[in-house]
Amino acid sequence: MNNFLFGRYLPGNSWIHQMSPQSKLTLSFYFVVVIFFANNLASYGALAALIIVVVLLSGVSITFFLKGIRPLIWLIIFTVSLQILFSAGGHVFWQWGPFSISDLSLINGGYIFIRFLLIIMISTVLTLTTTPLAIADGVQTVLKPLKKIHFPVDTLALMLSIALRFVPTLMDEMGTILNAQRSRGVDFGSGSLKHRVQAAVPLLVPLFTGAINHAENLSTAMEARGFSDSEHRSKYRVYRWQGKDTISWLAFLAVGGLVLWIRKH
Amino acid sequence: MPKRNNTLRLNLLAMFIAIIILQTSIPLIGYIPIGPLAITIIPTTVVIATVLLGTVDGAIIGGVWGIITFIRAYIWPTSPLATIVFVNPIISVFPRIMIGLVAGWAYVALKKRLKRQSVSISIAAVLGSLTNTVLVLGLIYLFYKSKAPQLYQINMEKLLPYLIGVVGTNGVPEAIFSGIVTPLIATPLDRIIKRRT
Repeated sequence: MNNFLFGRYLPGNSWIHQMSPQSKLTLSFYFVVVIFFANNLASYGALAALIIVVVLLSGVSITFFLKGIRPLIWLIIFTVSLQILFSAGGHVFWQWGPFSISDLSLINGGYIFIRFLLIIMISTVLTLTTTPLAIADGVQTVLKPLKKIHFPVDTLALMLSIALRFVPTLMDEMGTILNAQRSRGVDFGSGSLKHRVQAAVPLLVPLFTGAINHAENLSTAMEARGFSDSEHRSKYRVYRWQGKDTISWLAFLAVGGLVLWIRKH
Repeated sequence: MPKRNNTLRLNLLAMFIAIIILQTSIPLIGYIPIGPLAITIIPTTVVIATVLLGTVDGAIIGGVWGIITFIRAYIWPTSPLATIVFVNPIISVFPRIMIGLVAGWAYVALKKRLKRQSVSISIAAVLGSLTNTVLVLGLIYLFYKSKAPQLYQINMEKLLPYLIGVVGTNGVPEAIFSGIVTPLIATPLDRIIKRRT
């Protein structure tokens, strides 16, 4: 299943697992920004070294990362080939119609390939070591400053955690609906546009009806427990900023500074 | 929907977000492959949310879809198109918010004038779906014609006709699909929600 967020979390007790979700989230974002400042082999090398340290610290076997990259490999190759065939400038080796290959485009293609790998690696580390609910909590902490302009951060975070909580439930229900319709002879995955439209309706109506039922039951349950607004809600798990977060940030900032320094010289 | 109860609204929005997450990660209910094309049925979900919950909530659901598309363009791209186009937050988020707004305005305006509700839902769905296609195409054109700083140093002038071809050929079946399916789903759901509230 093509799944980028769910069922990927691996329980553990490593350095990365113990970091607070808000700093993991901001560090991933920061890392992706830094990647776009890298422009030569040395700076990409520094970032690759950092990511290798992060992967080792996460205590997750490397096969999980390879598994994460495998479904994307054709897409990456396709994008890199587009990059190579369509970029302009440099010493041209080969040209045919709109396509051309030059030394510059080959180098750029290689960099884009590394860039892809680095971004996928850092996001895989994040989702392998952080539960979806912890990510929602992290989002809430990161967005807290927006409260000053009356942006409903807490409501948003609660909505996000409820949504994440119900994704597996709805996925199960969808499996049941699919099997129920298949047993009635509905054929998903082949036929004309008209046929596919007819197949989609008996799949989506029960799915939405189920979702509406969940929303209703959950609101009744929440109100029965005295829920009035999401701002004064207490938490079962509280993630605090720790020494590990500070150290990781210092390391990432140092590598970021190094990349900028290499870029200048 | 009348503004009855904030908890219910919050939970309904959460469920729609869950469905959007589901549709973006499971191809079977998010995309329908027809020949070489894969038309997305997520605009249908956004329009259903708009019809059931109101214009603003529809725009929120559309925005959530946009943000998911934007993040996925970096970490888990679905198509080569995403890696080139949707890494720009204006192209990935803004058109999706507009789906909710346009469909909502069209629906509210048509509801009073047309007798059959399903017809107004259908027109709102077609308009919403086309809004997405037209805005994505228009923004691609704007951004890459003006040679704005971009992620990949691709020669866009040569690639542009292909991009527009891909998005355009998807857009038409998508609009037809939305127009047919949305009223079929939204009408019974509307009845269910009305009965409960």
